[in-house]
Amino acid sequence: MTVSAIRGPGERERLVVKLTQIDWTLCLLLTAIAGIGVVMLYSIAGGAWSPWAGRHLILYGLCFVLMIALGTVDLRVWFALAYPVYGLGLLMLLAVAVVGHSTMGAQRWLDIGPVRIQPSEIIKIGLVLALARFYHGLSAARARWSWWLLVPAVLIGAPAALVAHQPDLGTAVLIAATGGLMMALAGLSLRVVGIGLLGLGAVVPAAFFFALKAYQRARLLTFLNPEADRSGAGYHIIQSEIALGSGGMLGKGLGLGTQSQLNFLPEKSTDFIFASMAEELGLLGCATVLLLYGAVIFVTLRTAAIAHSHFGRLAASGVTISFALCVLINGAMVMGLAPVVGVPMPLLSFGGTVMITMMAGFALVLSVRVHRYSEVTRG
Amino acid sequence: MESSIFLDEVNERQALFQRRAFLFGGLAGAGLLALGGRLIQLQVIEASRYQLLSEHNEFEFVLSPPPRGLILDRNGVVLASNRPDFRLLLAKDETTDVDAILARLAQLVPLDDAHLSRLKDEINDAPRKAPVAIVEDMTWEEFSRVNVRAPELPGVTADMGEVRVYPFSGAFAHVVGYVAKVSAKDVTATGPNADPIMLNPGFRIGKQGVEKAFDLDLRGKAGARKVEVDVKGRVVRQDPRGDIPPTPGSPIRLTLDSDIQNRALDVFGEDSGAAVMMDCRSGDVLCLLSAPSFDANQFVKGLTAAEYRALAEYERKPLFNKALTANYPPGSTFKTMVALAALERGFDPSRVFVCNRVWNWGGRPWHCDHAHGALDMRGAIAKSCDIYFYQTALAVGPDHIAATARKFGLGEIHDIGIPGQKPGLVPDSEYKRRNFPKDPVWHAGETPSLGIGQGYVSVNALQLCVMASRLANGVTAVKPRLVHSIGEVAQPSGAQAPGLPFAPEHLEFVRSAMGAVVEFGTAARYAQLNLGPIRMAGKTGTAQSHNYTGAAQGEHGAHGAWALRDHAWFIAFAPHDAPRYAMSVLVEHGGFGAEASAPKAVEIMRVALLKDPEIRARIVQPVPRDDPAVGAPT
Repeated sequence: MTVSAIRGPGERERLVVKLTQIDWTLCLLLTAIAGIGVVMLYSIAGGAWSPWAGRHLILYGLCFVLMIALGTVDLRVWFALAYPVYGLGLLMLLAVAVVGHSTMGAQRWLDIGPVRIQPSEIIKIGLVLALARFYHGLSAARARWSWWLLVPAVLIGAPAALVAHQPDLGTAVLIAATGGLMMALAGLSLRVVGIGLLGLGAVVPAAFFFALKAYQRARLLTFLNPEADRSGAGYHIIQSEIALGSGGMLGKGLGLGTQSQLNFLPEKSTDFIFASMAEELGLLGCATVLLLYGAVIFVTLRTAAIAHSHFGRLAASGVTISFALCVLINGAMVMGLAPVVGVPMPLLSFGGTVMITMMAGFALVLSVRVHRYSEVTRG
Repeated sequence: MESSIFLDEVNERQALFQRRAFLFGGLAGAGLLALGGRLIQLQVIEASRYQLLSEHNEFEFVLSPPPRGLILDRNGVVLASNRPDFRLLLAKDETTDVDAILARLAQLVPLDDAHLSRLKDEINDAPRKAPVAIVEDMTWEEFSRVNVRAPELPGVTADMGEVRVYPFSGAFAHVVGYVAKVSAKDVTATGPNADPIMLNPGFRIGKQGVEKAFDLDLRGKAGARKVEVDVKGRVVRQDPRGDIPPTPGSPIRLTLDSDIQNRALDVFGEDSGAAVMMDCRSGDVLCLLSAPSFDANQFVKGLTAAEYRALAEYERKPLFNKALTANYPPGSTFKTMVALAALERGFDPSRVFVCNRVWNWGGRPWHCDHAHGALDMRGAIAKSCDIYFYQTALAVGPDHIAATARKFGLGEIHDIGIPGQKPGLVPDSEYKRRNFPKDPVWHAGETPSLGIGQGYVSVNALQLCVMASRLANGVTAVKPRLVHSIGEVAQPSGAQAPGLPFAPEHLEFVRSAMGAVVEFGTAARYAQLNLGPIRMAGKTGTAQSHNYTGAAQGEHGAHGAWALRDHAWFIAFAPHDAPRYAMSVLVEHGGFGAEASAPKAVEIMRVALLKDPEIRARIVQPVPRDDPAVGAPT
């Protein structure tokens, strides 16, 4: 560990010193991914900054500054805000359930003044913080298997249920999976993890028939056999696979992707941006982006590993888990390996709230790294 | 002072976390690798398949209609051609608000209410998936105005097509016919393999005459344009390298002569009837006119209900091709057949009958329109004496008369390539036996009527022209030919026909008697060509349009209400001494044959004769010149 920069007590609290402790590798990786996103959004708009590329660039720039700023915020502040942020997110989810704004048949948005907020994104970071905080004060033995684990179960279950009720099954699964994985990382008995997975295997088919809405069921069925409904629900998957496959090794070239340029590819700027990129940049571009994602996961996980505080460890790993799940689920969906669910490709997809919460998450990771030697009190 | 209350457990928690984080990192890496594997499968192994699918998405072939073949007259004058047409197409789907689009269009191009309601019907009736041509024949200004406002008109696209045009509008409307929009019925009528071009917006098929009969030859084969389309099917780009050029339709050359045909239409004016002219040596039909006519271009555009009603309900029936379908008794023109049959049966043409206007036979009086006195056969033909031919017919008998008439093309449908002919009837005892089971015998009392071309016998103008041609030709039973060539393929000449099994001197006798008709007979006042040595020979005929009641019997219905008057026939050939052109003229309800029909025949015949350089050489005698240098520029 490089501690040579530290000269004396209080030295670490100086802003300039904090900035030197920022993980600039992570910043570079994130900027590279977002940069590719801007290029792709520019390309699929037919070589224009509007409607996506310009806004994406500006938003990333603002988020980047915000991320650096939040990254210097003392980890104890994050610690203190963990439950309030979680509580706020949960309240907003409840509000959405009552007076939400319906988009594409789902209640997902909340208008507060001129700002449109997607509470399911806020709860993602809130949950990571809350779980990290809870486990910070929990002994390894209790974290392995005890009645105390009802608390994280409720912390995870409540927002997941509310989001599923919106209905946004993809995000609900994402929240539940993030929480579950955090519990596993925090030391949940592997035997329990195994039993839990077996239980899921039993519950999922039952849920498929009894708990899902008709369109959700159709999406899943379509995923299993997209050819059965070429022009309907299977259309997304087929067109996405065509976009990917026709890209080949080197792609059709920027601005030359017929699938996205001619709108055969649905949601080309958001959930299916990876397919747009695969078409125009080919396997080379895809592999580069996947490597970048892999590097981000590696760097953030390493940050979690070197943190001195248990809160820092779990918070950084929670962000990593959430990020990695997004990447894997979106990638699998675009490549026809998973059903179509509304999970964007982090930093590549166009979309405001997702970008903000994702960058806030990385701010947390930066803060964990900057304050990796800090011990965080329980209270 | 910072401290943890669980210091003893810190190391255990940390170690456990790091193991689990390492495990998770491995799982995430495996997930990414799985994605990479899937990418290799899609983008490397199956890339070619997906590239093909992508192209199927991207490109579409749009049919490009072939230019329709021209229709030409014998000299290459264009009777039907194509001109560019600026038009608007509406591609409809379930979401199209037709009323709103039409309302917005009406602000840009003139569309009256009748047009709008017809459009709505057309849009509803159009075959599924086929775009509908909603406005055609726009001016360039209208076209560009709509183009500019295109974003406000979803589903509407502007395009340039071709539309059929008939430069002579009426003169050839019946023969050449017209094209009109494809109806859903036309598509189903062609069976399951309907040419997809039929669904092309604004595509038209032949509905009448040559346009209908030779539709497939004229149509050609559709080509295709390769275009790049977006997901909504809108054309984004064209790819000219991928185009398949259409095969243009074959031009069709007719034997008609546009000068003769146009003159014929002029001569008829508002009179109702038909005129047919043939080259009696080759059988080429030079004129095939039905009057009054209509503007074929109106049918291309599409008639409003009111316009169609006006044409259909007009009592002179402009929509019928009277040259082929107006079958009437031939009247006295039939006496040529009776005379020839008699001569062939050994009847002495110098035999004389006396005409006292009334001849009593079989217990009833038989009338003639004049008291002609004593006449031999030549005089009887010239003066068209009925009483002479009552008796001649009785002497010959119906079966020989009928056999002769059939040899001259009566009672027969002549294959000239276009549909819609009526065969008419040449009656004989066999006909009676077959069609009158209660009275299957030919009664002698029915023969005198046949002798003057009345009664059961009925013919049309084409058949009478064939008859006149064969009389004039004298050697060959020429067949009429209307279509000269399809593309480069010439159609067989009408001269390749069997000979006429009649003694040349008998035919010559009938021809000279027809000369006498014009010289001093019934048509003397009406059938003079005034072309010097070139003279016409002919025969008048008057067909009763209905049975006259008691008192009027024997009177020709030459006066009175139009619809009650007789039909006037005239057959002719010229020059009388070396026949080239033969014709028949029918004037419906024209009254007396010579007066109504012969002058029209003269006018039409003059055009044909004056166009013929050899005839002109006979008419125009060279002016002797003293000094060829006089008048030359110095």
